[in-house]
Amino acid sequence: MSIVTAVRRGDWHAVFGYAFFVALLTGGYYYNVTFVQLGLLDLGTRLVGLSETAVSWWMATLALVTLATAVVFGVTMDRQRWSSSLHAKLRILFGVVVAQVLLTSVAPFVRTAPQFGAWIILASISMGVGFPATFALTIDFVAVRDRGAVAAAATALTYFLANVYPLEWSIESFSQVVVAAMVPGVVLLGVLVFRPPRFLDRLAHQHERFGVGRFCQSGRVSMREAAFLVPLVLMFGVFFIDSLGFLRILDTPSLVLASWQSPEFSVHLTLAVVHVVGAVMAGVLYTTFDRRVLFLATFGLFSFTHLLYTFDIRIAMWFPSLSTGPSSPLNPVFYALAVSFYTTLNFALWPDLSTPETIGTHSAIGIGLAGFLSTFLSTALALYFQSTSVTLLDHLNLVNALALLLFVGLTVGVYVGRMHTLWEGRHGEPN
Amino acid sequence: MANPIELIPLLVVVFLLVGVQGGTVESMEIVTDGTHTVSEIPDVYVVGGGAVTIPNDTSVSGSVYVIGGTADVAGTIDGDVTQLSGNLSFASSAVVTGPTQYIAGSLAVADGAELESLTTAETLAANSPTSGRGPAFAAIQTLALALAAALLVRRFEFAFATVGRAVTSHPVVSGVVGLLVTATSLALVVFMAMTIILIPVSILGVGVGALTVAYGYLVFGYLVGQRIPIDRPDRASAVGVVVVAVTFELIGAVPVVGSAVQLVLLVVALGAVLVTYFGLREFEPVSLPP
Repeated sequence: MSIVTAVRRGDWHAVFGYAFFVALLTGGYYYNVTFVQLGLLDLGTRLVGLSETAVSWWMATLALVTLATAVVFGVTMDRQRWSSSLHAKLRILFGVVVAQVLLTSVAPFVRTAPQFGAWIILASISMGVGFPATFALTIDFVAVRDRGAVAAAATALTYFLANVYPLEWSIESFSQVVVAAMVPGVVLLGVLVFRPPRFLDRLAHQHERFGVGRFCQSGRVSMREAAFLVPLVLMFGVFFIDSLGFLRILDTPSLVLASWQSPEFSVHLTLAVVHVVGAVMAGVLYTTFDRRVLFLATFGLFSFTHLLYTFDIRIAMWFPSLSTGPSSPLNPVFYALAVSFYTTLNFALWPDLSTPETIGTHSAIGIGLAGFLSTFLSTALALYFQSTSVTLLDHLNLVNALALLLFVGLTVGVYVGRMHTLWEGRHGEPN
Repeated sequence: MANPIELIPLLVVVFLLVGVQGGTVESMEIVTDGTHTVSEIPDVYVVGGGAVTIPNDTSVSGSVYVIGGTADVAGTIDGDVTQLSGNLSFASSAVVTGPTQYIAGSLAVADGAELESLTTAETLAANSPTSGRGPAFAAIQTLALALAAALLVRRFEFAFATVGRAVTSHPVVSGVVGLLVTATSLALVVFMAMTIILIPVSILGVGVGALTVAYGYLVFGYLVGQRIPIDRPDRASAVGVVVVAVTFELIGAVPVVGSAVQLVLLVVALGAVLVTYFGLREFEPVSLPP
């Protein structure tokens, strides 16, 4: 039963499931993109006094510990059958959110490097446990045909909030906002865990209908199959490209001050609206076309965005007097579009490649390798570039080349795949 | 100091104008800041910022474009002058042998200045199709589109029907695809033009885009024509195009909302044309479990 049917029938318990899941996904991702990715950099450099390089290494450590925790916990979830138990997942999430509220509250008081390191490890473990459990809730709350729309809603909400508020990238600011947002979540989760309403039992059985993902309808997808490995590699590429490019943009005041750190509220609002439009577009494309279209659009947009950035830099080289003004507003707009596209895909893809028996492992491997490991590697590469004084133009050129390579590779791959299908059909073999 | 956000689009327009006029862009010079008194200019001279003076007893030869900053002309320009922005002033001693075109910015022409011709925004407005010749022009344009619809539907009705079904059955998907393609292709066209070498490709891209949008427009005519009690689809489509043209004019008369509605309709039509491979294949979304 889709959400439209649920609303028509007045099945508000099912609608609650959708709303709860979107809120959970939004909260988790908002925590990741603001507090973890931006707030920790401020905490490490300003309050603890570490160098940017040292903080980047700690962030890379965070990525690796989160990956390891997620894989171990995701496999455990599937083996212990917690993946198909709504009550078990809610209990786990309650523990995770309580831990994260505590960690977030104390973060602004961290002052020494050992405290910072300990904080990173604890936060990594909480995230490593939290994200497979969150993604595994998809099968309890969201019908397969609605996953694109739900992913789009979570993406739109997350990036809208992240761009509109808070304007100041400081740990104190992030901490206050995140704790304020988490407390109602803790209360709600507490009620669902300790005083579960009766309708929760009905929702706990929905995985029997919603559990088998879109790409598993004709049979379970194993992690060793191309059906899982190809999206994994592509998603790894997407995260790698985004992270490597964004790290350098963050490091370039003329680029970041004209966009994500602009003092003008209108710039933030524009980016927020573009994220929402991008998420809606991605949701429609995911629901209507094969996932390859969304991958192609994402790589194409990233290629184009970095082409625009490099073009601006070349213009500045040719006409130095032009480089004193702000950079083109088109660049962050296209960047935001690309990010919304792949985030929507990321939210919907892993549950759609899973069944109730595999969702814990698949989500952990998918997001852990594609998201966290790629972030670790791109951080390391960015640090290497920094140490070897690679210029901004060369850096973005490389990111652009990677995006183009994946775009062309995917296009050729799709074409060759189609040829293979035609060849098989011509020889009377099933395809 | 010149603002690149304002300057770069105007530079693109200059490149396009130079390309269309067949100028030699190798000998172009762009001034973006500082104070300059020039006695000699290349074939194309662009004032984008700062202050440029052509003194009283000086004669320069070339095309001058003012897109920012200040240009004071007291001498002779053996060529044409185009102003897109900034401040341009002609002293009483100024002489321009070619046409002077004013599009926007601040223009001051002193008594005694000898300009071969001066085309201002008012002149352009007076010659535009909306004043006097407007209705006739619009009627001819509509008739041409109606004729095109009749001829094309007679030969390729299946294609119009396929695109039409995508418009009516999948307007959201068509709109999303149309919007994505429009946004990226517009940016691509502008940036291709900025490479100078790709100006012809850029112009070709604009042409292909316009034809695709026109195709979508005709599809609306076809769809409306199907609901008109005329047996022959080609004639019905022609009448439909006329109805669509009138409706578009009426919608466009509503401030802001009218333009937005027109844009949405055209984007949906463009997307429908693209997802059906210009009407060659039925658009089928992927099937999802219930």
